[in-house]
Amino acid sequence: MGIDLTVDLGKIKLQNPILTASGTYGYNVEFDDFVDVKNLGSIVTKAITLNPRLGNEGDRLFETEAGMINRIGLENVGFKKFIECKKVILDDKKIPYILNIAGNSFEEYFELAKLCEENNIKAIEVNVSCPNVKSGCLEFGTNPETLLELTKGIRKNYNGFLIIKLTPNTSDIESLALSAQNGGADCISAINTVKGLGVRLDFINGKFKKTMVQGGLSGKCIKPIALSMIKRIKEVVSIPIIGIGGVSNFKDLLEFFAVGASCVQIGTENFTNPDVTETILKDLKEFMKNNNFKTLEELKGELR
Amino acid sequence: MKKALSGKILNIKNVAKETYELSFKSDLEKIDAGQFLSILCPPKTLRRPFGVYDFENGILKVLFRLKGDGTNYLRNLKEGDIIKFNAPLGHGFEIKGKKALLIGAGIGVAPLVYLNKKLKEQNIETKLICGFKEKEEAIEGCDFIKIGGTIIDEVEKNIKEFTPDIIYCCAPQIVLKLVSEIAIKHNIEVQVAMEKVMACGIGVCRGCIIQVKTKEGIENRSICGDGPVFRGDEVIWE
Repeated sequence: MGIDLTVDLGKIKLQNPILTASGTYGYNVEFDDFVDVKNLGSIVTKAITLNPRLGNEGDRLFETEAGMINRIGLENVGFKKFIECKKVILDDKKIPYILNIAGNSFEEYFELAKLCEENNIKAIEVNVSCPNVKSGCLEFGTNPETLLELTKGIRKNYNGFLIIKLTPNTSDIESLALSAQNGGADCISAINTVKGLGVRLDFINGKFKKTMVQGGLSGKCIKPIALSMIKRIKEVVSIPIIGIGGVSNFKDLLEFFAVGASCVQIGTENFTNPDVTETILKDLKEFMKNNNFKTLEELKGELR
Repeated sequence: MKKALSGKILNIKNVAKETYELSFKSDLEKIDAGQFLSILCPPKTLRRPFGVYDFENGILKVLFRLKGDGTNYLRNLKEGDIIKFNAPLGHGFEIKGKKALLIGAGIGVAPLVYLNKKLKEQNIETKLICGFKEKEEAIEGCDFIKIGGTIIDEVEKNIKEFTPDIIYCCAPQIVLKLVSEIAIKHNIEVQVAMEKVMACGIGVCRGCIIQVKTKEGIENRSICGDGPVFRGDEVIWE
C-alpha cells in the first residue's frame, strides 16, 4: 500500500508537503532539467506585479555565512505576460502552482486579485513586504490595521485560496497573523526574508573599497527565526501555516512540522542543490515506510 | 540540457601564482566554449561559476584563482574526491568569421584558451592576447602576453596588424567595455563573456542582471541564463 503524503489545506489539497518559494523557482518549468516539477506539492511563482518591472539597479546579491542577501526589486514580466506566456505552460503540463502577487498600493493589489479571479487562478500568495507608496513607503505587512484592510480588500475580489505571506521584520507577528486570518485569508505563509545588510571591505592599494548590499536575508541562517515565528503564529491562528525559511533537508521539514507548519516552501536551497525537493521527498517517504507511518497526518500528529 | 552532475577529481595543480587547474571526470558529451559550470563548494550557499578551460573525452578542466572560501574549498580537495556541479550552463561564444582576435585579462583567459582550440578546429585563424598583473600570474596558451599596464593598449595595434573580422573578450567589465568600444569603432563584431555574483546559475533568480539595447528598448538579461556571452555592442555598461 502506498504512503499518503496529501496535505489538506481546506479549499485546496496538495499531493505532498514540498513546495518551492517565490523568487527561487521561476514561473513554471525552469527547474525541469533537474526535477520533475509536476511532482511537487506546488510551486509558488516569482512575484507578479500589475505591470512588468525591471527590478533594482546595482548589486543584487551578497553571500553571507550560511545564506545570502538579495535585492532583486521584484523584476518580473507583469500579469498580462504571465497569463499569456507562463500560465499556459503551467496548465498544459499540469504543474500545481500558487501565484505570488505584489503591489505598491491597495488599488494595485485589489486589481490583481480581481484579475486572478477572472483568470481562474486557484491559489494566490500575497507578498505584503512591499512599500505602500501612499503611506510613506511603510510596508503593508508591518502594520496590523493596514494588513487587515489589505486582506479584506483582496478577499472581496478573489474567491480562490488566499495565502498571506508574512514578513518577520516585526516585533508583533501575532497581531499581523490575526489580521490575515480576520481579513479572510485561508492560510498564512511565513516567513519572508529577514532584513539584512551585507558589508564587504576590500583593502586595495592602501584604501578601503566598501560594498554594501541591503536586502532580504535567506537560507539556512534564518531557520531559527522562521521556526520561532511559526510557533508564535500557530498559537494565535486556526488557519493552516506554510513554513518557509532555510529548509534544506528532511530533518528541517520535521522541525517545521513540529512547530505547526502544514507544509513547507523551499527557497534558497534550490540554488545550492537544484534537486533538493526530490531528495527531501525521497527521504520523507523512506522514513515513513521504515517507521510504519501511513499518512503524513499521522507523522505530523506524532510531532506535535 | 542542464544536469546536476558529480565527478571524480583527477588532478589539481598549481599553474601560476595563486592559480590552479582542476581536472575532473564528467559524463557530459558536449560543452561549448564560453558556457560554464557551477561547482558546489560546501558549506557555501552559492555555487561558484567557472568557464570551461578545456574539455576532451568527458574530462573537464577549469582554472581558478584563490579568492575566498569557495576557491579555498576547491584548493584543498584531493585527487579522487568527488565534486558536484551543474552543467552545461548558459550560452557560449558563437563561432564565426575567418580571423579571430581573442583578448583576455587575468583568469579571464581560461574560457578563451578553450575557445581558441575550438576555433582552430574550424580552421579559423586566431590570435590570443592576454594581460596579467605580474609575470608569476601568467597562464600558458597565449600568443602574446602583456605584463603590467593594460591589455587595452595592445588592441588597436593588433586590429591594425592582424586584421581580425571578429573579437572575443573575457576580462573584468571595464576591459570588456573598452574593447567593445574599440571594436565598434573599427566596425568589427565583438562578443564578450561577462561575470557577476550568481545565485541560481540558470536564469531564474534574476540576481546577475545586465541591461541590453534591443529593438523594443532597454531590456534585462541574466548573465547566467541568457549569457554569459553577449554582443559587446548591445550591452549597456554600468
